[in-house]
Amino acid sequence: MSRTTRLRLFLTAAAVLAAAVLAAALIVAAEQLPGFGGARHPYGERAVAAGLARQSANIVSAVNFDQRGFDTLGEESILFGSVLGAGMLLRLARDEHKRRPAAEPVLPTTRLFGATLLPLTLLTGGYLVAHGQLSPGGGFQGGVVLTTALHLAYVAADYRVLKRIRPLAVLDVTDAIAAGSYAALGLIGLAQGAGYLANTLPLGTFNALSSSGLVAVINAAVGVEVGSAVVVLLAHFLDQAVEVTPRRRNR
Amino acid sequence: MDTADLLPLAVAVPLLGAAVVAVAGRWLPRPGRDALATACAAADVGCLALLWARTDPDGRAVSWLGGWRPRGGHGVGIVLVADRLGSGLALLAAVLVLAVLCYAWRYFDEPSGEHGGMFPGLLLLFQAGMCGFALTGDLFDAFVFFELMGAVAYALTGYRIEDPRPLQGALAFGLVNSAAAYLSLLGIGLLYARTGELGMAQIGAALDERAAAGHGRDALVVVAFVLVLAGPLVKAATAPFHFWLPDAHAVAPSPVCMLLSGVMVELGVYGVARIHRVVFAGAGGLPDAAVRDTLLAAGVLTALVGAVMCWQQRHLKRMLAFSTVGHVGLFLVGTALLTPAGLAGSAVYVAGHAGAKAALFGLTGVLLDRYGSVDEHGLHGRARELRLPGALFALGALALAGLPPFGTGLGKAVAEEAAGRELGWLPAVFVLVSALTGGAVLRAGLRVFGGVGSPPKEHPEVAATTGEGEEPEIRGPGRRLPAPMIAVPAALLAGCLAVGLAPGVGRALAAAAAAFTDRTGYLADTLGGTAPAATPAPDTDWTASGILLGLLSAALAAAFATAAVRRDPRRGTGALHRATVLPLRRLHSGLLGDYVAWLAVGLAALLVALVAQL
Repeated sequence: MSRTTRLRLFLTAAAVLAAAVLAAALIVAAEQLPGFGGARHPYGERAVAAGLARQSANIVSAVNFDQRGFDTLGEESILFGSVLGAGMLLRLARDEHKRRPAAEPVLPTTRLFGATLLPLTLLTGGYLVAHGQLSPGGGFQGGVVLTTALHLAYVAADYRVLKRIRPLAVLDVTDAIAAGSYAALGLIGLAQGAGYLANTLPLGTFNALSSSGLVAVINAAVGVEVGSAVVVLLAHFLDQAVEVTPRRRNR
Repeated sequence: MDTADLLPLAVAVPLLGAAVVAVAGRWLPRPGRDALATACAAADVGCLALLWARTDPDGRAVSWLGGWRPRGGHGVGIVLVADRLGSGLALLAAVLVLAVLCYAWRYFDEPSGEHGGMFPGLLLLFQAGMCGFALTGDLFDAFVFFELMGAVAYALTGYRIEDPRPLQGALAFGLVNSAAAYLSLLGIGLLYARTGELGMAQIGAALDERAAAGHGRDALVVVAFVLVLAGPLVKAATAPFHFWLPDAHAVAPSPVCMLLSGVMVELGVYGVARIHRVVFAGAGGLPDAAVRDTLLAAGVLTALVGAVMCWQQRHLKRMLAFSTVGHVGLFLVGTALLTPAGLAGSAVYVAGHAGAKAALFGLTGVLLDRYGSVDEHGLHGRARELRLPGALFALGALALAGLPPFGTGLGKAVAEEAAGRELGWLPAVFVLVSALTGGAVLRAGLRVFGGVGSPPKEHPEVAATTGEGEEPEIRGPGRRLPAPMIAVPAALLAGCLAVGLAPGVGRALAAAAAAFTDRTGYLADTLGGTAPAATPAPDTDWTASGILLGLLSAALAAAFATAAVRRDPRRGTGALHRATVLPLRRLHSGLLGDYVAWLAVGLAALLVALVAQL
């Protein structure tokens, strides 16, 4: 047996043993967790009370964009950073070039399906973002649905159609502006002396579209950011898959 | 403006800056982009310097975001807490980002147009992530900023896309770190289920309350401790979680290496110390003795592995990367003592090391720029013409070895003395590790810049990463060396010197370390209540023994280096070398699956070691 094989064998055995130890430990620890579906929800009770006090009908949004809004700022920055990073890593290398995507044959029924569903999905996404402070959904979810709507064009037609309805440069700039606006919106509270990301906007009436103050505004900013970011992110990857080919080396 | 408002501002400024640079970078020419990014980074340095100046040496600035202050000890919001160690580390990160932006002014052949703002934008996001991680007092928030720091760093590591190696390095970096981060999240989930809290102070207080009510430490707390620390320990490149680091550092662009080695890895040690201290150091956590012994063992192992592997390298960036592993091991040893003196030593050491290591990476960038290689053997004598960079490189190597009066020397002396009080043989580890790492870098400097000795013979039986055939990081051969590429490393080395020479720095960090270890004070400042007076700050002035040990390790480094370059290249390797060093080298296989296996093995070992001591 060669040294490398012996080493590999040893490492495999050690990893299996370690995984067994960790799994056993996790099971023992999970035994100590509170039972499923219990009546005691220490954080949940406080979060609901705090959200209702700020006229937020959707408590999840109240937690995401108000009570723990700083976490969401970080998460949204991760998405922004991923878009920048993916754009940088997937830029056209010196030994690559772009080719035109070809038109592809599509069944008429598929095209009809896409043409019907695209506006419906756009509407759904818009609704989810707009009502994020009221009902389940919100900027993150709605933004992803909006992206899905655009990409129905790729599924039901071809890449050329998607490229036509996808204003990439505009979305790229929108993504950055929306990401920056979240950080900037936090400064309102700071300027008013209430603390960064403080919800100092008028709270409105409970369960109305304009309720919950800053939550609605940040929710909208996140919707725009996620919607444009995921389109741009997917565009980088789709470009690689569809358009970019390695340049043939002349030797 | 309130001092507390500076905490969120320090995170918001680079976030806003990144967005502005990303938009404006599409149209601005190169100098405009650089000026904009540099201005944002400088603004953040100013913000953090103000925060540092306005925080009491033994106090904390506390900011409840969104104004969600807790009532009756319970709340729903996120808290940022800055003692001087946290804000000092954030300041160090900001200064390094500023230095890197200046260094990269004319360095990179950066893409322009729609990709123009990407590199500086990512650097600013990186700064926001590091700053948020250093300042937060909330466990989940720490995870979020840990991930921000990670996601951006993976992308920056893979910057040179023409070469497959950077992508492989970035992949190993990304997968190992993300896997560990998810384990951390699992641990946070366990603690949240137990206490219903996410804030570090709140979780710590809740665990203590349970202990006071008779429900002491149980399996959940121990498992949560191991899982939560997985993320920061991997980031801190603790053996056997260190494998990703040399792979990533060897291929990342030099300016990015300056940040990764200079401050990001050290933030891992900070995360370990902070989470342990606030969450787990009370009655409801783990006994100090068990944590101390376990982390000390991990630190010593890391330091030795890093030092031995560093000596073996001929790829300069891999060499510097392994030297970081060795030094981070020493920082972990100092921190694991759990005393103010040990922590103060590590803090000074980190500050000094950041200057020296970033300078060395910057100078390696000069070699890459001139010769398109970072191979110690291939470059033998070729860089004789670069007098000033050569001198700086040698100084950096000696600083790495702990030569007084560099800041690294002071930090090493303070940590060494604190460690010696715990275990008599620990100072020997400090001396050996700094001598080996400093000696390896000095050896490379003598060969590359001095052409000393005869060119080493190749040993084909040992597979080694040579460092030849690297893509030069810039285009346009024959141009003059950009001035910032020398000025920035020189300024960083001067900073390393200042940490050791200015008595204020050491004393301020000593007071900061005393405040850091004052858990009751942290809980009282965050959640309300009164705390007894803090422990007095440890002594961080130069001592005769510290100076002597520093001189000893520098002399040893010089001796190692001269012995290596004078060595007859025809001589083979000894039996000891074959029995110990070669197997260790073989463990660094470069295979991602191995690294993940080591992650599991290391965590299981950590768990078993802790349980055995309870």
